[in-house]
Amino acid sequence: MENAVNDAGAGAQALTATVIAVGPPGRLDDPAATLGQLTSTAAIRGILIRYGTHAEPPTRTSERFVTLDGLRPEYINNAVAALRLSSLPSIVWWRGGDEADLEGLAALADRIILDVEEPLPVWRAAVPLVERTSLGDLRWTRLTRWRALMAHFFDIAEVRAAAPLFHRLDITGADLPAAGLFAAWLTGALQTSERMHVDLQRTTGAPIQRIRVGNGREELMLELAPNGTCVHTAAHVEGHARAHRTVSLGDQSTTALLAEELRIRSRDAAFEAALRRVVEARSDET
Amino acid sequence: MAGNPLNDGLRIEPTPGNATLVIFGASGDLTRRKLLPALYRLSRGHRLPARFSAIGIARTNMDDEGFRKQFRDSLREFAGVEPGDDIARSLAAHLYYLSGELDDPAVYQRLTARLQEIDGADGVLFYLAIPPSVYGTVIRQLGAAGLGGRTSEGWRRIIVEKPFGTDLTTARALNAEVHRHFEEEQVFRIDHFLGKETVQNLLVFRFANGMFEPIWNRRYIDHVQITGAETVGVERRAAYYEGAGALRDMVQNHLMQLMTLVAMEPPIAFTAESVRDRKIDVLLSAQPLVNNGRPNVVRAQYAAGWVAGSEVPGYCREPGVNGSSTTETYVALRMQLDSWRWAGVPFYLRTGKRLPKRTTEIAIQFKQPPLQVFKAASPSSVSPNLLVINVQPDEGISLRFEAKVPATRMQLAPVMMNFRYGTAFGGPVPEAYETLLLDAMLGDPTLFARHDFVEASWTLITPVHEAWRAEAAAALPQYEAGEWGPKEADAPMAADGRRWRTL
Ligand SMILES: NC(=O)c1ccc[n+]([C@@H]2O[C@H](COP(=O)([O-])OP(=O)(O)OC[C@H]3O[C@@H](n4cnc5c(N)ncnc54)[C@H](OP(=O)(O)O)[C@@H]3O)[C@@H](O)[C@H]2O)c1
Repeated sequence: MENAVNDAGAGAQALTATVIAVGPPGRLDDPAATLGQLTSTAAIRGILIRYGTHAEPPTRTSERFVTLDGLRPEYINNAVAALRLSSLPSIVWWRGGDEADLEGLAALADRIILDVEEPLPVWRAAVPLVERTSLGDLRWTRLTRWRALMAHFFDIAEVRAAAPLFHRLDITGADLPAAGLFAAWLTGALQTSERMHVDLQRTTGAPIQRIRVGNGREELMLELAPNGTCVHTAAHVEGHARAHRTVSLGDQSTTALLAEELRIRSRDAAFEAALRRVVEARSDET
Repeated sequence: MAGNPLNDGLRIEPTPGNATLVIFGASGDLTRRKLLPALYRLSRGHRLPARFSAIGIARTNMDDEGFRKQFRDSLREFAGVEPGDDIARSLAAHLYYLSGELDDPAVYQRLTARLQEIDGADGVLFYLAIPPSVYGTVIRQLGAAGLGGRTSEGWRRIIVEKPFGTDLTTARALNAEVHRHFEEEQVFRIDHFLGKETVQNLLVFRFANGMFEPIWNRRYIDHVQITGAETVGVERRAAYYEGAGALRDMVQNHLMQLMTLVAMEPPIAFTAESVRDRKIDVLLSAQPLVNNGRPNVVRAQYAAGWVAGSEVPGYCREPGVNGSSTTETYVALRMQLDSWRWAGVPFYLRTGKRLPKRTTEIAIQFKQPPLQVFKAASPSSVSPNLLVINVQPDEGISLRFEAKVPATRMQLAPVMMNFRYGTAFGGPVPEAYETLLLDAMLGDPTLFARHDFVEASWTLITPVHEAWRAEAAAALPQYEAGEWGPKEADAPMAADGRRWRTL
């Protein structure tokens, strides 16, 4: 009765998603490596579409990886429509291009993960799309640990009691848009946007270096350790003994961040709210 | 501000309230091999509470610093953590140690004082990582020191390791002892199989998908085979194993748990009590394993042989084992459930040491289609559909179905469709002890055995031991190490017109 096939090894692996990385040529080297790695370690199909000048670009296909080299951007929707599988969720990893194309992609993709250098124009274009697809941003993914560490402080009753008196938020780091997103999330969640003075300082090095929130006497602080992989956390709040810890920032590689995104399929209300606040706050800028 | 406003939409899974873990048996194998690495991984994954401390207790003379060194050593040995790791250093600063005899009330006074010194814990989790012979002592001493029961000062919970009793009488006595000092909702009887992702996924697979449940019954399922195969022998656990044997060590707990998850009715909600109520129904529906004094369980012991290219001694030649031991290292049995869903569907369970492969799986074999349409064209087929749930080491689910071989007129061949947990979602799969420690700190007992489950399971198993005691010892069959058990285990299957899967 048994074993005509080797049950453990044989057979097709059940897939969980199609991930489509889209962007201009210079922006797709990292994604190519990341997708290559993910298709071998996670159960996904990977598709890489580099922009160029061809209506029918050269295509390379292996078992679970398709590369389109040099597609004219105006054909991106057609390409995605042809390559997606109806049976699997399609996740677009947007590494740049014309923001106007996002609207068409939103109709085809179950999720769009933004990942561009200058995010403000893309974020503006993305806000109206939140009702049509599930949106994410790798900058936001990178903030997950920082948000969790900040949230940990608020498990302490004394910190929650002191929070209405916090009026200063200082964030330093190399990635000001990410810092802005964090500030928008924190002030929104604490409902302190009106009175909170937010100071974002650009430094070199890590995207986020230090986050401090407080009122002069009381302070919560998260600071990247010199090794770049851990965060020192410190809470100094009335009625609560000073608490220091060193915790891991987790794996911040693009592969790990993307893997985290692949686990999420539903809308991310916290991200959408933060995105709206950032876009509204900077509506006067062009 | 009542709740934590920053938790909304946070992707991080819930973390427990501030907690202190007290490990009895802190110098032992389980602590070093499993518990300390699990704490490290939980810390690395941000799953421990903001204020977490652990106090180790054992007789070995050690101070806090000695315990911290043991922590670092066990991380290096069992979790591949480099010396100087920042997470390890930070966590080590919150580890403490008390040495003393576990029956000495002074130890518990010192423990109480330590717990009071540790500021800001919302609750205390006691972990009995000690030999079962001292479970009762520690439970009594905790009660006497006022550390059991519920208090207004915060939650208190207790994890009890396996084995939970050695038969129905001792399990009842232990439950009674525990219940004298703790309420049932404070008690977490561990079965690490339940912490495995695939085992939890079994509930999702069955009850979150509409397409399997309609065929999950006697009309479509021919039989179920549950295998827990180990390649290791008795190793250094002879003292324990001699008094236990495979039926107690593997079947009473792990395989029974797997069987109930396969066989249970849908719970009305995913709550601990609802899930555990439906599981106990399964055990209560099981036919006795002993009929007219005859146990329907094949037992055997491994003889010398070859495993993974090495020659290994027979069980009776293992260090610490009595040369004429009749302890079984293999059992195979057939469970029959008297329920509407399963009447007439046998559940075959087998487990053994020194088998050719380390694997735990549940194989659900479906009935043949009612008409063999392709029999004339492809006489050698058709293999019945098979659903295999791999519990370890390669967690996942596979489905076997028939397909037409291309370029043949109508030749059929079985193919497998595989879902592999380790790779599907592109992230690490947590170890069972991480999940279970966290659940106990969160106060969720879903993945722990309730008192009535343990007793119902012993109610099935104890008569087998009693019948064996009455049998002549000479009846114990042998199997060569490295083979799939004794030939005696094939007979009951053959009588049903079935065969064990070759794994
Ligand atoms: N090891 C595993 O992988 C594993 C797996 C499943 C279940 N378990 C269960 O976990 C428990 C601990 O197992 P283990 O393998 O860690 O055992 P172990 O290595 O023998 O450790 C036993 C621990 O209990 C302490 N202890 C305190 N009082 C004792 C006494 N009167 N007699 C003996 N030891 C005493 C020992 O330390 P001192 O000598 O310093 O006091 C030691 O720390 C057992 O119930 C076992 O069945 C273990």
